[in-house]
Amino acid sequence: MIRSSLRAAAVPVCLGLALALGATAPALAAAKCIKGDRKAPFTIGWANIYSVPTWMKQTQATIQAEFDADKKRGLVSKLVVTDAQGNASTQIQQIQSMIDANVDAILIEAGSSTALNRVIASACAKGIAVVNFDSLVDTDQLTTRINTDSAAWGAGAAQWLIDAIGGKGNIIILNGPAGVSVSDDRRKGAEPVLQAHPDVKILAESNTAYNVAPAQEAVTNLLFNNAQIDGVLALAGPLATGAVLAFEKQGHPVVPTTGENARQFLELWKKDGMKGWATMQPNWLGALALDAALTALQGKDVPAFVKVPLPVIDNSNLDQYLAHADAFPADGFIYSPYDQTLFDTLLAAK
Amino acid sequence: MTAAEPLPRGVPPLYGPVQARRNRGLYGLYAVVLAFLVIDAVLFPGLLSRDGFARLTQNWFPLALAGMAQALVMLAGGISLSLGAMVSLGAVIAAVTMSGPAGVGGGLALVLAAGLAIGAATGLIVVRLRLPAIVVTLAASFLIGGTALLILPRPGGAIPDGFSDLLAGDQPIAFGILVVIVGLWKLYLATPLGLSLYAAGENPVAAHNAGIAVDRVRIAAYALSGLLSTAAGLFVAAQTGSGDPVIGDSFTLNSIAAAVLGGVGFLGGSGTMRGALAGSLLLSLMINVMFFLGLPPVAQYVAQGLIIIAAVALPQLRIRGRRS
Repeated sequence: MIRSSLRAAAVPVCLGLALALGATAPALAAAKCIKGDRKAPFTIGWANIYSVPTWMKQTQATIQAEFDADKKRGLVSKLVVTDAQGNASTQIQQIQSMIDANVDAILIEAGSSTALNRVIASACAKGIAVVNFDSLVDTDQLTTRINTDSAAWGAGAAQWLIDAIGGKGNIIILNGPAGVSVSDDRRKGAEPVLQAHPDVKILAESNTAYNVAPAQEAVTNLLFNNAQIDGVLALAGPLATGAVLAFEKQGHPVVPTTGENARQFLELWKKDGMKGWATMQPNWLGALALDAALTALQGKDVPAFVKVPLPVIDNSNLDQYLAHADAFPADGFIYSPYDQTLFDTLLAAK
Repeated sequence: MTAAEPLPRGVPPLYGPVQARRNRGLYGLYAVVLAFLVIDAVLFPGLLSRDGFARLTQNWFPLALAGMAQALVMLAGGISLSLGAMVSLGAVIAAVTMSGPAGVGGGLALVLAAGLAIGAATGLIVVRLRLPAIVVTLAASFLIGGTALLILPRPGGAIPDGFSDLLAGDQPIAFGILVVIVGLWKLYLATPLGLSLYAAGENPVAAHNAGIAVDRVRIAAYALSGLLSTAAGLFVAAQTGSGDPVIGDSFTLNSIAAAVLGGVGFLGGSGTMRGALAGSLLLSLMINVMFFLGLPPVAQYVAQGLIIIAAVALPQLRIRGRRS
């Protein structure tokens, strides 16, 4: 529903763009920012806000792998990586340096939803393909933005949990930090589903950092205070891990729990034989961003917004994910497989 | 020039030797900054164009102001942990007022007035209540940062394009403003408040006994520091075209790093503003140079640490070498 309305909105935008560019590019409608004067092999800049978390390292690895493959095909020549160490002002300066170095494409994991807007616009004006993914900016002066849907995440998790406990019972909700947009958006997405099921009682709700230890502590406290907990709606991987560990330590049987594709959570899920559900922010969003930039640079149009459907892990396909767990770091995320066909489908979607 | 006036027999002129002594520890830093400027220009020749120079100085400008703001408080014998929150507040006030009825002029006045007033209030609490600056400014950072979040809970607001283009466009206007600010600082140092700053910071008791209004001098330093901090925030808002309630967070540590790199001491009364400016320029140049050298991010962390240690340690090694 949401997806189709977004697509509907994207069509007139792209049509308008095609009309506007009609004079310069009569044959093909080019993507935004693309002027058609840049030729392969392309140089790529990857402006990361913070490279230290495991999720970022794995994402960086998918970009590098995609880059290496493209290099063999003679499509790209150089990949420059920057780390703004969490500082949006530094990120502005690094993106400015990429413009000065005249890279052909810039991939951005944004440190602020507004602060980069001007530097992004100036990159776009220079004909650089600018692709933003995961942590998004609120400007449309760029080639494309790529992300999953946080609200769908929350709604999907809530719906599964309610079904798993038979439509009634007591649940607890574990959120990420207050005031963080991803955390807010997932919780907001869950709200209408919870509202529609008055027999499901929310015993308590917590806000903790995206770490196992604080979540485990919070759930341990909730277990002391609440005799009967039938389900745990954890809206991130480490929170789910913390919840399961708390149940184990307190000697409670593990109840249905939602989470994320964190390897630790999936392994606990298997070990305890519990009922579970998980989705993910796929690390290959990075590789997809690079692919989108190259697609645009080669003169093809790409959607102004690419909404990536959330892959779902449940008891039916858990073993498939765990089968190649060893290929992922112990504290990392087991993401769904991806290939060029998937990317082509996502980038063709309008 | 003081040095040119006739002095009593046997008393050598002071200004020259004092400045020379203050500069001594900074030659290493100046050399490193100069080397970085040259490397940056070689790696990226566009730096020497008007546009390139404008961008370089625009990226440096907010940290230059923050470094000066921190140096002011440190010279007065304090430290400011609320500086980053002040930068955020300045950015947020600018972003919500400038595109409203207040306009650019009204917004500018509000930002500067808020900086001056909050800076003075912080100074008043530290100085009059004899509380440690580190505790007061830590508490103030939560208060001020929270206020910024109340004014603008999520990134947003807007700065009129014309004003953004003026400050952060193709012309090196930011550099011009920095030159004016440094000129004003030199003037301030000639006023009674400015003249007494070093004395009040280094040895407040002796300064008091010498007839200096120590409290007033120190409160003035905090007020001016607040003014510079929110002005830095205003510039960041203009540069980004919008407000972000947490954009200033990193300025607290970076401003301390700039000041300390520039030879400003933690104990008050030692160091120079030109040192703090050079320190902030080094931190800003480092980002460019490491980018153009193409170092991977992990190596950048290591290189950054090494450069900072080298810039601080070089002059010390030279001084020791001379003594032995």
